[in-house]
Amino acid sequence: MSHTVLVCDDAIFMRTMISDILGGAGYEIVGEAETGVQAIEQYKHLKPDLVTMDIVMPDLGGIEAVREIVKFDPAARILMCSAMGQQALVVEAIQAGARDFVVKPFQPSRVLEAVQRVLG
Amino acid sequence: MDLSQYTELFRAETRDHLTTLNRLLLEWEQHPDQAEALPGIFRAVHTMKGMAATMGYARVADLAHRAETLLDLLRTGGRAVTEEELELLFRTADGLEALVEATATGREAEIDVTPILAQLDAASTQREPPEQPGRAQRRISFVAAPVGTGRKVAVHLRADCLLKGARALIVLRRVEALGTVHGVEPAPTALASDGFDGRFSFRIDTQASGDQIEEEIRAAGDVETVRLDALEEGVPHEEEREAGRTRHIRVDLRRLDALMNVIGELVAARGRLEHLTVARRDPELADGVGVISSLTRQLQSEILQARMTPVWQVFDRFPRVVRDLSRQLGKQVQFRVEGKEIELDRAILDEIGDPLIHMLRNAVDHGIETPEVRVAAGKPAAGQVTLAALRDRETVVIIVSDDGRGIDRAKILAEAKRRGVVDEHAPEIADDQLLRVLGRSGFSTAGRVSEVSGRGVGVDVILTRMRELGGSVEIRSVPGEGSTFTLRLPPTLAIVRALLARVGGERYALPLTHVAETVELDEAHVTHFEGKQALLLRDAVLPLVHLREVLGVGGAPPTRRPVVVLQLGDRRTGLVIDRMEGQQEIVVKAFAPPRGTLPIFSGATVLGDGEPVLILDAGGLV
Repeated sequence: MSHTVLVCDDAIFMRTMISDILGGAGYEIVGEAETGVQAIEQYKHLKPDLVTMDIVMPDLGGIEAVREIVKFDPAARILMCSAMGQQALVVEAIQAGARDFVVKPFQPSRVLEAVQRVLG
Repeated sequence: MDLSQYTELFRAETRDHLTTLNRLLLEWEQHPDQAEALPGIFRAVHTMKGMAATMGYARVADLAHRAETLLDLLRTGGRAVTEEELELLFRTADGLEALVEATATGREAEIDVTPILAQLDAASTQREPPEQPGRAQRRISFVAAPVGTGRKVAVHLRADCLLKGARALIVLRRVEALGTVHGVEPAPTALASDGFDGRFSFRIDTQASGDQIEEEIRAAGDVETVRLDALEEGVPHEEEREAGRTRHIRVDLRRLDALMNVIGELVAARGRLEHLTVARRDPELADGVGVISSLTRQLQSEILQARMTPVWQVFDRFPRVVRDLSRQLGKQVQFRVEGKEIELDRAILDEIGDPLIHMLRNAVDHGIETPEVRVAAGKPAAGQVTLAALRDRETVVIIVSDDGRGIDRAKILAEAKRRGVVDEHAPEIADDQLLRVLGRSGFSTAGRVSEVSGRGVGVDVILTRMRELGGSVEIRSVPGEGSTFTLRLPPTLAIVRALLARVGGERYALPLTHVAETVELDEAHVTHFEGKQALLLRDAVLPLVHLREVLGVGGAPPTRRPVVVLQLGDRRTGLVIDRMEGQQEIVVKAFAPPRGTLPIFSGATVLGDGEPVLILDAGGLV
């Protein structure tokens, strides 16, 4: 059975791209979220195997979302989607419980490697 | 994902690991009480297991896994490794090799390793410590490293790793799952700074084995090297050794061959262009062609360099061959390898492996005597077999020598007379005749056919192979003192400088590999020696060979003729030709001579002016 994924990003472009990369590799995209609040709600509802989380999102940021999700499910597997120069934020996210990160611009192979690391 | 594209890479890399494995096992066998080779052996087996599992080669992975279990017990157990255990590990290496090759080529069913699997399991059971509790724990724990002090672990992230601080943090998070992590350097707060270069270390109190720690760290991604405490300090880590050296990539040899072919054509075309330019006398054209010539030469030298491979890549498997053989025959042999770093073109290196194995087998089987015979003859019980590579001017010389009984000339002479190879009144057989006699197809140095070398391959095969490679063979043998085979090879195969010799209406290319000098034929100094024509050259007698006669060219030769002095080791011959037509770089093309062709050609080439010519083989003329 393929792993289920929740994709959280405020940009449709980014969500499409991540969905394509993961969908093309056989992962099942079960939900998408545009904000941190949506991400938390969707997680509780869908219980996906993996969450890809953008750091900067409207209303509630990715890091806060990570904290809330991990509080709800300590075993949650969250992959941060960051950009160069966001090191401090990524570190914070990891301390909050994120398992790994990828850096934009995305290279499909790197994204898949990270996903495999997180799910492995 | 389609893994078939990775098959070749898998095979190549596995072969490397198997070579390492065999080398380390031999080291271990020399010093069974020291286990210095063990971490390397373990790593080689472990890596192969991982790769095989990735490729889906379950049986290979299983064999490696069971070997790993035994190795793990060997490194935790107090007793030194036994001879039986080493022998089993050697056979495991063979089993892995056979199984990998068979599996990678879809012939997996042909190989049965169940006996080895059973023996590995039995050996592991014997090694199990008697007290059962906590057994599972001990199995995975890596010797010593007293719990409490913690093992020091140094990690180096890849240079292209992004956000190194965050990655380092992920590494730390992962190892925290294995035990208590402390003493992180630089301090965690400094990790997130932009100045962090990706090198950090920490201590960990854990029951986990070194391999587990490393595995966990590597699983964090973007890890270049992992170094574990003093326990393994004696064995620098593969990647660690590589660091600071030139970076290497693996290239399919066929690509280099294809590139070499293209460059060969380019060199030929350049020759043609240079030829035409001389005729045109156009300075601008000459300039342009000059630049192209120089660039082609650079390209040629680069690609030739890229093909150069140190001989150890082939030599490294020989100690194992000699060891197995001498055991099988009940002989004691000290095998020395010298000049491992000498480089040869990959294509040549690939071709000489089999002839060398044959020569080594001959040396051990027919050369070296049994310990009793040796001692009775006043020699040390253990025989010496040496394989040496060295550079001599433009050639690479490979020597296989032994201090055994030497070739039985009386027997060879009798056989040669029986076959009519030598005159029936010949009193004895000289070294250079020896080669000619032994080089006859089907002639073997052995009076008997043994299981070891009696496979119908003889010196003739070695000679033929050397000729194809543009090389030569010499034999020296002294009764009771041993034999020496000397191979001379051009360091590269495809492109050689050659002298163009004209005889009658034809031209021939003569590679400079074996050309010592050229002199003019001075009839006043021509004499006769042992019934043959010879030239007195600086007080030495140089036997002459007239290429006209050899080729059966009619007509009168020119009055002034040059002599090309060919040299193969100590032997020199003067080749009389009609005229020299300069030197040229030629691209050697494989050559399948029609039946009945004189055995004096080693290949063919196309000259700059487009004319095809045959390449003369010095070995066939001297």
